Amino acid sequence: MTETRYVPTYCYNCVAGPDPMKVRVDNGVACEVVPNFDMEEMHPGNGRVCVKALGLVQKTYNPYRITTPMKRTNPKKGRDQDPGFEPISWDEAFDVIAEKLEALRAKGLTDERGLPRLAATFGHGGTPSAYMGTLPAFLASWGPIDFSFGSGQGVKCVHSEHLYGEYWHRAFTVCSDTVNTRYIISFGFNPESSGGPSAARRHADARVRGAKRIQVEPHLSVTGGASAEWVPIKPKTDLAFMFALINVLLHQSPRESLDIPYLRDSTSSPYLVGPKGYYLRDPESGEPLVWDSEAGVAVPHNTPGVKPALEGCFTVAAAYELGPDKEKYPYENIDGNTAFTLMVQSMEAYTPEWAEQMCDVPAQTITRIAKEYLDNACVGETIEIEGETLPFRPVSVVLGKTVNNGWGAYHCVWARTVLATLVGALEVPGGTIGTTVRLNRPFGNRLASVQPGEDGFMVSAMNATDKENWESAPSGRNAHKALVPIVNSGAWSQALGPTQLAWMFLNDAPSDWMRSTFPDVWFLYRSNPAISFWDSKQMVSIMAKMPFIVAFAYTADESNHMADILLPDATDLESTQLIRAGGTKFVEQIWEHEGVILRQPAVDPQGETKDMTWIATQLAKRTGLLEKYYKALNRGAGGIPLKGEGFDYSLDPSVEHSVEEVWDAACKAATSDYSGGKEVKDLEWFKENGFYMVPYKRQDWYLYPTLKAKGLRFELPYQERLKRVGEELKRRLHEQGVHWWDEQLEEYEALPAWDDVQARYNKALEHMGGTEEQFPLWGVTTKSAQYSAGNNAGIQLMDDVANNVRGHGSVIINAQTAQKLGIGNGERVEVRSIIGFTRGRAELVQGIRPDTICIPGQFEYWKTPFAKDLDYPSLNTVIPMSLELTDSTGSGADLVRVSVHRLGGDS
Amino acid sequence: MTRYVMVADLRRCIGCQTCTAACKQANSTPPGVQWRRVVDIEVGEFPNVKRVFLPTGCQHCANPPCEEVCPTKATFKKDDGTVQIDYDLCIGCAYCAVACPYDARFKVEKENFAYGDEPMPHEAQRLNKATIGVAQKCTFCNDVVEAGVASGHKAGEHPDASPACVNSCITGALTFGDKDDPESQVNKLLDQSEHFRMHEEIGTEPGFYYIWDKKNMGDLL
Repeated sequence: MTETRYVPTYCYNCVAGPDPMKVRVDNGVACEVVPNFDMEEMHPGNGRVCVKALGLVQKTYNPYRITTPMKRTNPKKGRDQDPGFEPISWDEAFDVIAEKLEALRAKGLTDERGLPRLAATFGHGGTPSAYMGTLPAFLASWGPIDFSFGSGQGVKCVHSEHLYGEYWHRAFTVCSDTVNTRYIISFGFNPESSGGPSAARRHADARVRGAKRIQVEPHLSVTGGASAEWVPIKPKTDLAFMFALINVLLHQSPRESLDIPYLRDSTSSPYLVGPKGYYLRDPESGEPLVWDSEAGVAVPHNTPGVKPALEGCFTVAAAYELGPDKEKYPYENIDGNTAFTLMVQSMEAYTPEWAEQMCDVPAQTITRIAKEYLDNACVGETIEIEGETLPFRPVSVVLGKTVNNGWGAYHCVWARTVLATLVGALEVPGGTIGTTVRLNRPFGNRLASVQPGEDGFMVSAMNATDKENWESAPSGRNAHKALVPIVNSGAWSQALGPTQLAWMFLNDAPSDWMRSTFPDVWFLYRSNPAISFWDSKQMVSIMAKMPFIVAFAYTADESNHMADILLPDATDLESTQLIRAGGTKFVEQIWEHEGVILRQPAVDPQGETKDMTWIATQLAKRTGLLEKYYKALNRGAGGIPLKGEGFDYSLDPSVEHSVEEVWDAACKAATSDYSGGKEVKDLEWFKENGFYMVPYKRQDWYLYPTLKAKGLRFELPYQERLKRVGEELKRRLHEQGVHWWDEQLEEYEALPAWDDVQARYNKALEHMGGTEEQFPLWGVTTKSAQYSAGNNAGIQLMDDVANNVRGHGSVIINAQTAQKLGIGNGERVEVRSIIGFTRGRAELVQGIRPDTICIPGQFEYWKTPFAKDLDYPSLNTVIPMSLELTDSTGSGADLVRVSVHRLGGDS
Repeated sequence: MTRYVMVADLRRCIGCQTCTAACKQANSTPPGVQWRRVVDIEVGEFPNVKRVFLPTGCQHCANPPCEEVCPTKATFKKDDGTVQIDYDLCIGCAYCAVACPYDARFKVEKENFAYGDEPMPHEAQRLNKATIGVAQKCTFCNDVVEAGVASGHKAGEHPDASPACVNSCITGALTFGDKDDPESQVNKLLDQSEHFRMHEEIGTEPGFYYIWDKKNMGDLL
């Protein structure tokens, strides 16, 4: 007789989660992951989890798991070294770690360079925090920690969208309002692979409803396959296409077809710009001026009842421009153009015919798509949402990873956001909307983060660039505060800085920059940067020099191969944590509910593996930080403040608490908070019920109503502040004699101009000693639903099912190109770049440009059990880490020039 | 009468393989055996190319070629329209696997596990030795559906009376139900949309329908 029970819990393996699920446990053995139909009506993915979650049973019972703490016995580190890991007790492991950490504290938390002696690296998109229990409270109690050693942050995320999306419309991530939209232009956005059940369901419903999505990308992705049309664009020339779309809207369409009231009243379009490129300001108030079209005079933008002119050049009697370092440039009778007029002028040359030359998409295709976009925008129409009348603009433009990273990405995000404003489709029903904030507070409520700032815009804190406050001696190894003002200095900021610089500068920094130092101790959790970052060989060699690595280890892998101590944490189906869910957040998790959801052990932890909350508590105890740790937990470092208005479930900081006590307090605090004190649910209740949700208003999916209510404008199209900040940053760096960031500083343009990114790559290749003739093809990558951000290449089930997907584990090549190169389907090929090669089976297809090859996912494992035997290629192996190919935000793109040749023999 | 069928909406399917994995878990099939899978087909020539994601598996034909060739009557049609295999009668001759036009049948000669020769606890818990050495294929999760219907649920319209692939599908592409029930969800869907059945021309009368957008996909398929 089988005794069966279903345990409610969640999957948050990628940022498209969390998604609810149940674990079927037969006779005490976890056997299946199934949907949680109790949440079918609430969850935008209908209570389902994606394929990755179904790998969690194998993840639990994988025979290759590390199930006891281990210590390294071979002091030599390197890929070719056997670490000689030997099992030890938890006591011994903590003794070794505590000794290291105490020694570190005794020396000082920062080293002679002022850099933190303790560093920590976590995996994908903040998802580790949904598994690390109370570890954040330990980190908070420690003091300065360097989070700048990335494992893909900045190069594998949607970096410019994170920074500029949040700056322009509180959109750390951006999506279409898919449930209302009619027309989506997607530049490589791939939600069918990386958007989880929520995005997949929303887009499927939209397709059946008749919504049309145009997929613009060099390789026909899964999302492209599920789109109405595929436009095979040259890699990294998306900007030309987008500029041409703007050109058609501004120069080939009646002006009244645009949303004039939106542009005039909700953007900076009418602000007058002076000869130096800064706003003309009112001498008395300092506010930017607009031209009052009725009174025929320049007035501050915030003059009550003013109807500003949208376009034109006007003579202003008295004004000044505010330049860098508070320099003022006063004028009398000075001509000022509106920001809109300057944009119209700047976009005039970017015709579809011009774009065709740049991006290899026929001019008539671009023109048709621009007109379809405009036709579907429904300018002037409204929709009622929960009794409120809002604009209805069912068109959207969304961007994928490589469009969003590296050179040209700032421009593309600008163009995408401007395309939305031109038809009034930014942050309104049907349009382009944001889902979450991570650089502005409060986290989790982007509407509340909208506060009045300067010049009629939202406040957006930036790292200082003035002489007194600029951080001339970086406090972190990627210098995010010094180099990237827009990334700010919050909890997420450092990991969103130039993470590859942290790695590169350990090896070799520019001569006019400080030498970097290795951290004394490096913590690694749910992350394998030796695989997930570029130039894997260099990464491994740098990691091998890390003096002391503590790795939370699931199985042996390519990164923890260099570790000194391995700590086996209880995994997804074995551990406890309460996290927030619902509202709006990453990718397309857009709910009509918000609340909390519990992860709980469906089965006992395997071997000696331990819950992360227990591990964090022991670390705090052994390092004498227990009191600070509990105080941090009480403040909310575990994700839920334990004390709030009308409730107090604070933990006594003077005594140790069990894992269950900690999360019981969190359950009670969260339910008290969400219910306004009406309901208090404890851990036992959550174990039975799984989640607690309250309604979340649909109106709150959109930022526009909040902006209107606060009388604010979107800071578009003109980037006066960025221009000023860029100039200040240039001065600061030059004052220090630093010139290696000069090219990046050129990105601080008030109105972005065409950036020939392919030419940058060709130039960089030349500087590295290669030629376009040697490497005639472009290498790109694509995500797959089975692996995206899952760190699950060691799960056999994923490979089993992924083998049904075209291109899995292969080098995808255009069939005609392959024929010319003498490559047959299934033959082994070598893909070579200026830094090395990767090898795999060729898959010949029609759905890729002849000048491009694509390698899906991230493979080429050499240590991870099961994965190491797959013999799949990886683009990461052949992409260089290059300062020259790093943009002003510190990001680079998944792109590389390659050659391909046949090795012979079937795979 | 009852005629259980599956409907796959090709406008919805994205080839994510969640159904493939869910089927493998629910039926504890060994590595490489997929009773349900989604085929990823590229059609057209550059630059006019599309990908079509086609869920497939046993089509539970009304005229099943597999049944016709079975020498022991191990393969049989149930009165609910599904095609099933009596493992006790099957002699593993594999004629059925050859006869099936849908490549839906598998035969596994020995126990086989995800990580080598030893089963993980869940593999041991779910090991079905009866499937070794005989033909195996999709059953439309017949035991679950039967139990669910016996509990008073309508087939395909409650998770307890639906196949694992349908329950797991994240885009709502798969629907299961009784074609002979005019009120069933499958009939409502088929009434509202253009659809086809695979290899209908060979007279198998599959119990697996594909909804498609003929206007946009017809020139490619």
